[in-house]
Amino acid sequence: MYIIIYIWQNYTNMKSLLLPQVYKKIGWFLLFPAFIAGLYLLIWGTTTNTYNPRIKTYGYFGSVFASGKPVIRFDYIELIPNLFSILFLAGGILVMFSKEKKEDEYINQIRLNALQYAVFVNYILLFLCMISIHSFEFLNVLFYNLFTIIIIYILRFHFLIYKNSTNNNE
Amino acid sequence: MNNKIKIERAVNNLTQEQLAEKVSVTRQTINAIELKKFVPSTVLAMKICKVFNKTIEEVFGLEDTD
Repeated sequence: MYIIIYIWQNYTNMKSLLLPQVYKKIGWFLLFPAFIAGLYLLIWGTTTNTYNPRIKTYGYFGSVFASGKPVIRFDYIELIPNLFSILFLAGGILVMFSKEKKEDEYINQIRLNALQYAVFVNYILLFLCMISIHSFEFLNVLFYNLFTIIIIYILRFHFLIYKNSTNNNE
Repeated sequence: MNNKIKIERAVNNLTQEQLAEKVSVTRQTINAIELKKFVPSTVLAMKICKVFNKTIEEVFGLEDTD
């Protein structure tokens, strides 16, 4: 809640939308376990469903025409994939939109470059998937596509920072 | 955009790190400006010139392609 108020205050004051630097550490703390768990689920999750708890939640469940039941209702969802997706998104957003230790205009340019690169590569990948993957399997593409912008942005941003720090002209 | 930051640093006996500290940016930013990979904002350019006690034209200059 604090984060949303902080972003809104900065937005209305036309300041930077970036969060304080401490949120980056919190972001990594959420992102790493979620990423490892996501990889585990991606590789082994579908074949070894030994532990697959379900929790009851309230929300939109399918079309009223398909089930004949109310569209918005209490129902069961799989806990683990949903939990790690949310943790990954929350961690990713915090890492993406937190300030660096020393934030300046060059870092801002790298940030913009990484964001443009991530969106562009994301849609190139989506386009390639659209013309090569069909039927029900495409739902998987849409699911993984939720995370690609975050992953590509983080990789590109830190690669550019690393490349510039090693490129010494002293 | 051309710049003579590296020369001015040598004249004033400053490292990239020291100049960066004086104008409140990272060393990487100064490095990128010297390598012409980044064109600084007017504010940063003026701050850099102030450190060297020079005018903007003495430190920065336009290229034919600009």
